[in-house]
Amino acid sequence: MREGCVVEVGFSEPVARYLCPVTVAAVADRGRQGWVHRSTIDDINMNNRILLKRNINELLARSAEAREVYLPLEGPGGDVQFLPLQEPKELDNLNLNYDQLIIPPKNIGFPQLESLFEFKDGEINPTVPVPSRHILFGLRACDLKGILFVDDFFRKNFEDIYYRHRTEGRLTVVVGCTSPSPNCFCTSTSTGPFIEDGFDLQLVDLGERYLVEVGSENGERFIGEFEELFLDASKDEIHHSGEVKVTAAKAVTLKVDFKEAIRRLTEDDVPREIYEEIAERCIYCGGCLYVCPTCTCFNLFDDMKEGEGARFRNWDGCVFEGYTREASGYNPRRDKCSRAARRYEHKLKYDYQETGISGCVGCGRCLTSCPVNIGISNFIEQLTGLDSKQ
Amino acid sequence: MKNEYIPYPAIIESVREEGPETETFRIVFEDEGMMEGFGYQPGQFVQVSLLGVGEAPISIASSPHHRGFIELTIRGMGKLTRAINRLESGDKIYIRGPYGNIFPFEGVKGRDMYFIAGGIGLAPLKSMIDLVLARREEFGRVVLLYGARTPSGLCFKEEIKVWRELEGMEVRLIADIPEGGWTGRTGVVTELWEEAEPWRGGVAYICGPPTMMKCVVEKLIRTGFNKEDIYLTLERQMKCGIGKCGHCSIGGKFVCIDGPVFSAAGANIEKWGR
Repeated sequence: MREGCVVEVGFSEPVARYLCPVTVAAVADRGRQGWVHRSTIDDINMNNRILLKRNINELLARSAEAREVYLPLEGPGGDVQFLPLQEPKELDNLNLNYDQLIIPPKNIGFPQLESLFEFKDGEINPTVPVPSRHILFGLRACDLKGILFVDDFFRKNFEDIYYRHRTEGRLTVVVGCTSPSPNCFCTSTSTGPFIEDGFDLQLVDLGERYLVEVGSENGERFIGEFEELFLDASKDEIHHSGEVKVTAAKAVTLKVDFKEAIRRLTEDDVPREIYEEIAERCIYCGGCLYVCPTCTCFNLFDDMKEGEGARFRNWDGCVFEGYTREASGYNPRRDKCSRAARRYEHKLKYDYQETGISGCVGCGRCLTSCPVNIGISNFIEQLTGLDSKQ
Repeated sequence: MKNEYIPYPAIIESVREEGPETETFRIVFEDEGMMEGFGYQPGQFVQVSLLGVGEAPISIASSPHHRGFIELTIRGMGKLTRAINRLESGDKIYIRGPYGNIFPFEGVKGRDMYFIAGGIGLAPLKSMIDLVLARREEFGRVVLLYGARTPSGLCFKEEIKVWRELEGMEVRLIADIPEGGWTGRTGVVTELWEEAEPWRGGVAYICGPPTMMKCVVEKLIRTGFNKEDIYLTLERQMKCGIGKCGHCSIGGKFVCIDGPVFSAAGANIEKWGR
């Protein structure tokens, strides 16, 4: 958005600011939280462009000449994974209408396993990756929210150089979600199906074409590089994009009272029986942690053979019994209940208290991956369905 | 940008036995400039590595007014610490840090200082005791109440001998299980309370096993201490030491960057386990 007046929109509180003249095109109910959909713009906005779907493959193939391009590729079993494009032929498997990636794209900045340094005969050689220009093309809004959350986490206090180098030179292209999975509840967490800021480009599906919203100078420069593939957006197309967003938001049918859940957690208004029941059912497989876009816990370990080896880090998780066990055998979170509670308290209480943003982006992967049907949305439904002590 | 995960080579200059499987290592960085520039304060810890074995957080037991080395007192509890305890002077070890916050020092001048430790828990307090004793005239009473399960579990026996001779330093020892001709008191550290009288308030620094710390905090509060004047240093499983790996989380805090020193007012004792 360029210069102009500031407009705040929202029911009970402002949820977005627009630095340009706007008219409110559509309003969608977002449960009790109050929510106003992104508005369409009166004036011709230079920031909105059109990309014809038939030009997508050319854009991606040409982008891949000078950058690594990560994109959602469908495998033979129908799973969609976010992978780097190796050869143009793979574009045949491009699927931008996927409901959800099984593994969120957090692994691009924070791989499941990575070496921190190698050592040989007592000499240490850091294995810090070299930053490279790369595009994350076809992200969902919730997943970008997750990435932005993880960005902040790895940047604060002692900045993590490995994460920094893996994410420097990143361009994010969101393709707003029009086909949510049944476990998605992003309209309750205000993290989708479209994103309001923090993106470089965002695509809105208008049928044969995408409306392209530009969210940063980085995004603007990218379009400039492939100017001939982009058209100007008409007023009608901009208007149409607003309608698409409203329809998309309505397609997210699972709604939870997220705000109330956060209130009850931050005010310690959670009956312990809820955690006890979860602790009883949980099989402590850790699936929910691995597929969570904002879980960043890791373990460090050495691997050595004949004086040569490396120190690695790999994903770890707070539900595991060994996660907090000390060398003495003492374990401050030994009991299942406090381990079960930790995950919910971390996402819905401590993250919120420390950063003002909850670590839950409403993707529903924890529920999808859970063999015993535990997930944050179920937890919230159960909690907010009970009487509050207040 | 600094790569915080890279440890730096250091040499074990000397090893002193403290008790069963417990040694104090005097360590000097290989790089002279690095050693000179290594600044720390009592309460902080370093991450100690043996390449191929692993890494663990260890409190610095020496005081920063002694320049040119650091001392770490290590009890062989796990794979790494047992491997470290097999090392000898001249061996190489890898260090990064220092990390964590510090015991309040400047703000407590003029007050009575109570140090209450259990077993290996004296190590982090020793850094502070040494610094306080180096500037003895700036403080009130200096009292150490120190207990261990067995007499051999009491560390820093040589220092204790010296401290007992110092004017204005009071040392009370206790062992839970008397062995090897122990003639001192038998019991737990809170049973030393009467010996340490008069309790006129002051500042307390505690380190020991979780149950011991909990009992001591409760006893101090009953004795009339303000929670704000009670400082604990907590132990947790830690991997990174820089607030990233998540292992040492307590509530929304990380022991490695928000601690390891917490005041009893800040550390919700009931929630230590969460």
